[in-house]
Amino acid sequence: MSARLASLLRDDRVRAISRRYFVSNGFDGALTCIGLVIGAYLTGVTEGLTVVKIGVGAAVGLTTSGVWSVWEIERAEKRAELGRIEDAMLTDLGGTGVERDKVAARGINAAASGLGPLVGIVVPLLPFLAVGNPLSMTWATLVSVGLGTGILFSFGAYMGSISDQRWYVAGLRMALAGVAVAAVNLLFG
Amino acid sequence: MAPIRRLVLDVLKPHSPSTVEVAREVADAAGVAGVNATLLETDREVQNLRLVVEGEAVDADEVERRVRDLGGTVHSVDEVVAGEELVAYRNQPQDPSPS
Repeated sequence: MSARLASLLRDDRVRAISRRYFVSNGFDGALTCIGLVIGAYLTGVTEGLTVVKIGVGAAVGLTTSGVWSVWEIERAEKRAELGRIEDAMLTDLGGTGVERDKVAARGINAAASGLGPLVGIVVPLLPFLAVGNPLSMTWATLVSVGLGTGILFSFGAYMGSISDQRWYVAGLRMALAGVAVAAVNLLFG
Repeated sequence: MAPIRRLVLDVLKPHSPSTVEVAREVADAAGVAGVNATLLETDREVQNLRLVVEGEAVDADEVERRVRDLGGTVHSVDEVVAGEELVAYRNQPQDPSPS
């Protein structure tokens, strides 16, 4: 079983789909968190723990959304794939290794989809655990926005590195979204 | 009953699992000493393999079960060699002569 799982984790198709969901939903999570912490700062929240609690709520929502939606999307996609193969083979593939692999691949896709926003939200929230000692709310917000932007940069750099782009340019393009969200929030917040 | 020494199967399978995986999985069956999996034809969704299975006492049912579990179907059993000796096929007078 674990050998089969390891083999699926090495499968290019499973990896590519998981990577897309992870980065796409991680991008959503990081931007949501940047908006959330700036909003909290501008509305005068003074306790770091309050920001963390709100952020964890957002993380639970986006992680659930990531897992649930992909679980359902991939159920349909993989059933359609299985149906096409069954039509070509003129046989029922229910209960075979092909069906088991599709179910396991769907689980991997859904887990990656949920992990993206979890990382994108939880990591930028960490500075708020240090509010009062040693960080102020202003510094915690700045460090948090920096971490969120850093996560976006790393997503972009990673995607750039696997597609023969200049990784730092791809990273900067993604990080720019974090700066833009921060700027729009400051401007209209 | 006389043991099966050699089994040649015509198998249709999806692209995944790969031919390597099919060969290894079948080679793990009871009584199998070695497997040769040859790709005969590839289509958009499926592949056609010739599977040559040899061993001291090949369990044909288990080989077929393993092929099915991998999502393949055995289209035909093209050759079976059974008994104490591995009998090779010899050209018969009715076989078409090579041109």
